[in-house]
This record gives sequence, C-alpha cells and structure tokens, in this order.
Amino acid sequence: MNLEEVVELIRGALGDLAKEITVRKGYVEVVVNPGDVVTAATKLKELGFDHVKSVTAVDYPKESRIRVTYHVSSYLRDDLARVIVGLSVDLSRENPVMDSLVGVWRSSEFQEREVYEFFGVVFKGHPDLRPLLLIPELAEKRVLRKDFIVREESIYEGVPHRYQ
Amino acid sequence: MVLETILYLIAYPPLWQVLVVGFVGGLLLAMVAIWFERKAAARVQRRIGPYWASPRLGGFMNIVADMVRYVTQQVIIPTTVDKVAFIVTPVAMLVITILPVAFIPLSPHNLYWPVASMDYSLLVALALTTLPPLLAVVLGWASNNKFSIIGSLRESYVITAYELVAVLAILSAAASTLSFNVVHIVEAQQPLKWLALLNPIAFLAAFLAVLMSTSAFPFEIPESEHEVVAGPYTEYSGVLYALNMGGGYIRRFVYSLLIALVFLGGWAPLTPGLDPLTGLIIPSLVVLAKAAILMLVMSFLRAVYGRYRLDQALDAAWRLALPLALIGLGWSIMLAYVNLI
Amino acid sequence: MKESHTGTSSGVLEGRRVEGMVVRRIERELYEVFIGPQHPGSGHMRIIVRLDGDIIVEADPDIGYVHRTMEKLSEVREWLKPIPLLERMTIIDACNVTLPYVNALEKLMDKKPPPRASYLRVLLCEINRVASHLYGFGIFGVFLGHSTMYMWAFGDREVFVELAEILTGARLTHTYHIPGGVRRDMPQDFPQMARRAVRYMRRRLEEYRKIFLENPVIVKRLEGVGVISRNLAADLGIVGPNVRASGIRYDVRLVEPYEVYDELEFEVPVFEEGDALARTWVRVEEIKQSLNIIEQAVDWLERHKGEVIPKEDYERLPKLHKEVYEKTGRVKLLPAHATMKVPAGKAVARGEMGRGEIIYYVESDGGTTPYRVRVVTPSARNAIVFKYVVPGHRLMDLPAIYGSIDYFPPEADR
Repeated sequence: MNLEEVVELIRGALGDLAKEITVRKGYVEVVVNPGDVVTAATKLKELGFDHVKSVTAVDYPKESRIRVTYHVSSYLRDDLARVIVGLSVDLSRENPVMDSLVGVWRSSEFQEREVYEFFGVVFKGHPDLRPLLLIPELAEKRVLRKDFIVREESIYEGVPHRYQ
Repeated sequence: MVLETILYLIAYPPLWQVLVVGFVGGLLLAMVAIWFERKAAARVQRRIGPYWASPRLGGFMNIVADMVRYVTQQVIIPTTVDKVAFIVTPVAMLVITILPVAFIPLSPHNLYWPVASMDYSLLVALALTTLPPLLAVVLGWASNNKFSIIGSLRESYVITAYELVAVLAILSAAASTLSFNVVHIVEAQQPLKWLALLNPIAFLAAFLAVLMSTSAFPFEIPESEHEVVAGPYTEYSGVLYALNMGGGYIRRFVYSLLIALVFLGGWAPLTPGLDPLTGLIIPSLVVLAKAAILMLVMSFLRAVYGRYRLDQALDAAWRLALPLALIGLGWSIMLAYVNLI
Repeated sequence: MKESHTGTSSGVLEGRRVEGMVVRRIERELYEVFIGPQHPGSGHMRIIVRLDGDIIVEADPDIGYVHRTMEKLSEVREWLKPIPLLERMTIIDACNVTLPYVNALEKLMDKKPPPRASYLRVLLCEINRVASHLYGFGIFGVFLGHSTMYMWAFGDREVFVELAEILTGARLTHTYHIPGGVRRDMPQDFPQMARRAVRYMRRRLEEYRKIFLENPVIVKRLEGVGVISRNLAADLGIVGPNVRASGIRYDVRLVEPYEVYDELEFEVPVFEEGDALARTWVRVEEIKQSLNIIEQAVDWLERHKGEVIPKEDYERLPKLHKEVYEKTGRVKLLPAHATMKVPAGKAVARGEMGRGEIIYYVESDGGTTPYRVRVVTPSARNAIVFKYVVPGHRLMDLPAIYGSIDYFPPEADR
C-alpha cells in the first residue's frame, strides 16, 4: 500500500473529521480539530493502526500554536505497516490542552509524558502525567519551546580565574 | 630433641586444630580458592585473570593485595544501623564458622584429638555448621537496609531448604558405620571403601547442600548482585565486609573438610604413624588436599552456570535434594544391614 | 508525600532524626525497593519496585538520568552537526542510529547516495548490529550471573568494533554517513578481514549455544518469563527483536527497505513464544543473518567500483580534495557543507537498529539549522515494558526481563 492509497483509505474512514490530508516525505499528515482527536484516533485504530511510533510536538511561536503529531502505524496488518500516518492537532500556545490518547493507544503513554514536560501540553485523561526525563524544576521551563534559548557557554566558563 | 619438642608444641591438638588448620589453613585455602576461582574463570573466559601482582605465582599476590586493601579500608558504619549487632555479628559469625573445626579429628590417635572425647564429633560439628546462617539473618536485620532485609530473607528461605539435606546426607555416614565418631567413620572406610563410592547419592546430596548453603553458583541467591546488591552484606565495607566474604569461603572449607573425612576416606590411602609428623601433620595435609579439591570444583562452577531463581532453587532443594538425601540415608542403612562396611 | 515518621521501611526509628532522609508512607503490605540509579542491576536509571513478598506488584521505570538534550541541541546546530551528536545516544550502535537522520535529510534535499555508498552504509550497519547484539548478550549474561557469557560476548564484540574501525577510522563514533554518501571508501584488504570475522563469529555462535542458550540454568531462568503476547506487543508498541519474538513480522529493513536492503537476501527471524528465551534466540538468529548480509555486501563491493559521494558533490570539490579522495578514498568536506541549507519541509525516516526501530521526524524551515528534530529510539519505546510486563513476576525475574529486552538507558534518555 503506498501513501496515495492510504490517503484514500483515511479520507474514507475519517470523512469530515480530517481538516487536511497531506502527503509529506515519508508519512501522511492528517490534521484534525482538538475536539475530534479521540474520535479520529479511535477510527484510525479500527482501521488497523495499532501503535504509536512517536508523539511529536513542534512549537510555532510566530503563529502562536503548537502542533502535536502522533505518528502511528501498524504491527498486525502487513500492508499498513509500510506507511506512517501522522495524526496532528493544532493547540494554542498559551493554553495547550488536549485529550489524551492513552485510552486508544497505550503505546503513547510515555511519549505524552515527554511532550508534557518539554512543551507543557496538558493531556486530559492521562493516567499518570508526570515529567519523564527531566527533573520537575527543569520541566517547568518547557525547554523544547522556541523561546527557551540555549545559551552558548564559553570554554572558560566555570574555570577559576587564575587558570584562564 | 629440640626439634621434637617444637613438633609436639605445634602438634598440641587444640593449637594445631583451631589455629593452624582452622584459621591458617582455612584462610590459605580460602585464598587459594578465590585465586583459583578467578584464574579458572579467566581461562574459560579467554582472559588472563590476576597476573601483574606476581607473574611467577600466577598473580596469587593479587589476593593478598586485596586482603590488605580490605583491612586498611575505611569502615563506614551508617547512622541508621543497629551498631552493636552490626559490628559484632560479622566477628561472631567468623568465629562460629571456624568452631566446627575443633570437633573434626585429623588423626586416628586420641593423643592428637582437639577435644578428649570424640564419640559424637560428627553430630557436634554438624550442629555447629548450622549456626552461621542464622547470624546472616541477624546481620541483614542489623543493617536496616531494604536490600539487606531481602537478602537475609532469602538466606533464611535457603537455610530451611538445605539444612535438612546437609544434615541428613552427612549423617547417612553415621547410619552405615553405626557411629557418630568421625574417626570411626574414617577408619571404617579404609582402605578404599570410601562412602562417596559406596553411596554416591548421599555424596551428591551433600555436595548440592553445601553449594546452596555457601551460596556458590548456581545458587548464589542471597547475595545476587543484580537485585539485592550484596544481600545481607550491602551496608558493610572494609574489614567487616572482608570478614563476611571470607566467612562464606571458610564455611565452604569446613563443609569440605567434613565431606573429605566422611565421604572421601579422610587420610586414606595413608596409614598414620604415631609421631607428630606421620601421625598428625601429614594426615591432616592429606585431608586438606581432599577438601581443597572439593572447594576448587565448587569454585569452578561459577564459570559454567548462571544463578537459579529463588523459587527454582528452593524447588530443587525440596523436590530433588531432599529425596536424594533420604534415598542416600536408606542406602546407607542398607549398606550397614548387608555388612558392607 | 506526607511525612509521618522518621525511619526506613525496614524499621521505624522513633525519635531519631536522620539528616537528609525523605520519608513517605506506603501501603503496609507492600515493600518498596528503589533499584537504581546506583545499583549493579539498574544501569543509568531507576526502577521503583513495589513488592508483595517476592512478587512485584508495581514497577515504575524512572528514566532520564542521562538526558543530554539531543533534540534541543539539534535545533541550534547546523544540519551536519547533529550527526556526531546523535551518535552519542547509542554509542555502541552509532551507524544505525544516525542513518535515518541522514535519510530524512536526503529526503528533504532529494539526494540519493550512489549504490556503492549505500552498500558501504549497509555493511557498517550490519557490523554495528552484530556488535550491538553482542553487547546486549554480555549485559544479559552478567544479569543472570553468567560471567562467562559476559566476557565472551564483550571479547567477540571487539572483532566487530575493530572491523568498524578499519572501515571508518573510529571504533565507536564513526560519523560515517554524510548526506548523499559516506565519508570514506573501504580499504583494499577489508573484504578478507570481514570474511574472517564472519567465519569466526559463526563458530563462536555454536559455542554460545552450548554454554549459554542451552545451559539448563539459563533456560530455566528465561523460559516463560516476561511473556509478551502478539496483541500486547502491538498494544505497547515495543520494537525490534522483542516484537519479533512475539510473533510479529516487523522489521523496517523488510517493510520499508531503506538503502539497498531490498537487493540483499536475508531472513527476518520470528518466534512465537514471546518470552525472554525467544527474545534471546531472535538475537542469535539475527546475528547469523547480519553475518550473511556482511558477506553479500562485501562481495558486491569487491565486484563493483564506483564513487561514494554523488557526482555533483564530487565536481564541487577543489583539486586538492579530489586528489586526497582518489588516493585514499577519504572524502574531505568543504566548509560550505557545514552551512548548507535544506529546503523547507517535513520528513519522517525510520531505520532498524540492533535494538529495534528508530524513527526521526525532521522539519526544516529552509534555514541552516533544523527547525525540529524528533527522535524516538528503540529503548525509549521499550521502557514501557517495565511498567506493564514486569508486574506479576518475581524480583529475580527483573534482571532477566531487563536483559532480554536489551534496554539501554542512555539510548532511551537521548
């Protein structure tokens, strides 16, 4: 099954739920409204997309939105295993809240925690929404957002003055 | 004349037995066992093992250096432990571990026995060997550490499982020779009626029980590194840790001595003379050599096996080793009945 | 987290205040054990285990102790610089871990490496896969108390690490791929060495079987432990040999062949049992397949000559660089490479590492640095096993399951 056929398949399954279906390089991106995400995910799961490969968030400060993408694929259906579908949601940057998809795909549990700590996206209904990789103090800073600037350190930083 | 006096002095039974055979022999054999364990494992694993500390001795000084390090290391006593028990238990454990040696005769002549009456020596020695594991439980409790507690809990499970096997298997010798006196048992096996040959089942059961009781591979469960760090010994450091670790090897040594006497014919094929040299020193060296071989075999298993899970080990003890020990006992009684021994 | 009394779970120390001790009340019947981060059986992570007797009722993997901000750093470095950076996630599988990133770049730039470069990439990937599996075996062996397996696997891994060194010039951090090709051609005498290594490894695998895989103690420890059914595997989204041991025929090299995997002959070993023993056997079979692929790749490389970078890149090189390339096979990059721009777009690329599938999401806004790099490593996806598979097993099964899923904390933490 190639990407174009998948587009047809998804269009058939999701109908009006899909705001936009685009073939990207290596995956098909489906954008849905934040309110419809659980319905859309359930339909995708019924199609045979049974696991989440990656939960990605991208911060667009200029447009003041955060796009969360669930890259899903299939283990149990060989033809669907060849493709990756990105189920995307646009959230507001000030108050990023969306429904958790752990109920649909258990494999997204840890990665939603990751998106939570790095971007501050709150997943409603997540069973265990705690920071995964970062300590809580650091997670507060939402480090993967674009306004967290990585300061370049000079090679002498931290070296006592008399050795410089 | 002078030489003879010195010989008699050295061969003064309590001195010879507990100090020379017990402490020095035990320590030396433990060191050889540790060295062999490292060296043999290295050979299997295509390494060299200890080498640079003394290339001519095959790196034996490495073990000495290790001991020096342990002795000179700082002993850290955490604030949360029960201090008295924490410090006293390892020392008490080592002493009690060595005590059975006082009841193990290394010569047929009562002149050289460490204690005057030896009629129940096997029973007393066996009873004493069952004490140290109890102290391991105390040790874990005194450490007040979760890993220690789990470790000593495991230890206590293992004690209940193997103790019966060890006692039954070794006592089966008494059943076939109709005596609890180790000397009689050894004499009955002369020259080649070794119980290990006549009753291999009991020997096997005893061997298994010793493996379990001294937590050798594949039964290294109470100290299993990857779940409970070092088991009961987790909080210990420096010389106290060395006492614990050495204690395990010395326990193995004591058991090996017992088995060498009871199953492997003791000082056979030698017939001891009367003077100290041929009557005590050489026979005890023969027994030590047999014990050493047993210990080395146990050490070598480390290179071949992984470790069993706790429940599997207990299963093996109750379902395999205990029936084996019982069959061994029955076999011994039969041996006595048909007068083979 | 209410502070109720001072003490440890093994005993209450009423009236004794111990500095720096955090106390938390847990259920009376349960025993809470913190395995890691400083523990011989944890690696750079912590598993909070709650025990009921010897049975684990709850396990909470607490990862992140070696998080190195790969994703954030990739956003502030030029396009080429994440390649040596991302290698550091899994230093023992450095080729496989960066290949999908380079593939994603190539997708965005519409570049295709010449066939010789593709074969070289595959060759190094398979060498790395063998080394990675052997590393896993070593750790697994020592987790089960089998020190011989540990030493053997690490000793034999050296063969393949050295093979990679001869090919790329570095033992572990190869940084071999560049967009559109590889950094260095194969040395003349490499095929003989590779064949010898393959022959040696095949012989050794027989010995592994005797001492480890069919060792009664090991079999008893692994059989029926950590069983992951086919549906559970799909539900948890675990990857790699773990999913193939559960009867799912999923290997990126098979379902979406990248590089030249569609031209090579290999099998994807699949086991149905789903237990720790099956996962171990999958790895052994995979080593055998990787050895086959190494042989095929080496044969092809011997028969076909060609460039290792695209023609247009070659023509852009100055004369001195061309000479170096002709003489030694080494590609010296121009400074322009470091500041190259990549057309705007979004790309996803996946690849099969030794431990399983790795997926990259790369987004470009047309600038000199990536706009967003998202990487999900196999161990990051396998971490969920601790939470959902470990409970119900005995405490001594924890190392067996940990080792059998070949979990590598630095890889999961990124």
